[in-house]
Amino acid sequence: MVEAVQVQLKKGVLELCVLALLSSADAYGYEIASRLAKGIGMGEGTVYPLMRRMQADGLVETYLVESSAGPPRKYYKLTAAGRASFTAQKAEWSQFSLAVNEILGGSQ
Amino acid sequence: MNRQTFMNRFRNGLAGLAPKAADELAADYEAHFADGAAAGRSETEVADALGDPDRLARELRAETGLKRWEAERNPSAAFSAVIAVLGLGAIDILVLLPILLGIAGALFGFLITALACLAAGAVLLVAGPFWVIGAPTAAIVLAGLGLMFAASCVGLVTAIVSIGFVNALVWYGRLHLTLLKPALEPQGSAT
Repeated sequence: MVEAVQVQLKKGVLELCVLALLSSADAYGYEIASRLAKGIGMGEGTVYPLMRRMQADGLVETYLVESSAGPPRKYYKLTAAGRASFTAQKAEWSQFSLAVNEILGGSQ
Repeated sequence: MNRQTFMNRFRNGLAGLAPKAADELAADYEAHFADGAAAGRSETEVADALGDPDRLARELRAETGLKRWEAERNPSAAFSAVIAVLGLGAIDILVLLPILLGIAGALFGFLITALACLAAGAVLLVAGPFWVIGAPTAAIVLAGLGLMFAASCVGLVTAIVSIGFVNALVWYGRLHLTLLKPALEPQGSAT
């Protein structure tokens, strides 16, 4: 039960978390994956299909940066649409979590 | 599991995908291993954190098939969507298989019937007035037209039912994308 609730919760905020990460700084796949894995326990393998989908939806775009060791790194950055989506989703989330917290607080 | 094993199983699992898409996906995971190593993690650690490569590949391939059906409604896309859902290999899909085959067979039968009636109507319309002696030409022409019209109706209904059938299957298949569901579905349509 707890596990099912967690899956549902993560599902709703995964995209929002990626948008939030990228809104403060551009990042490459490994950074995003490890931050999300540490923060909300996402499977690291899930991040790449997610980035691909967000790229197809026009929320993020990629560019390559030469790295000192190995092949060039693929960085992700927010597009204008991604930034707008982040603002909207963040406001929605704040409102929603506030309402839920209020109800949870009242149940004690 | 080390990097080599993970990547081999992942690549094998992606077989059937467009080579370019498969290369890009594989490159993402290769880079992940490289960055993991740079961060001081062992290959086994990174592979464990990534998840089951077979399952990942299977769900990615399935989603590609389902997406294609949504983008282009044609028989070949429908076929690849059905294959994609079956490829997920969930046990209840296998139980469902006989029923699916029954429905698909019935739809195919209707399609053949519609085509046969259409052809018969066309023949009657064109050649009927010369063959059938004694009947008024107008009656034969109208009979031919009527037959073709009825055949078109049957064909149309069959097509609509077929599209609905594949859509239902796609919806059902999506329920089985356990691993990648949050990543592949736009947040707006997630329930």
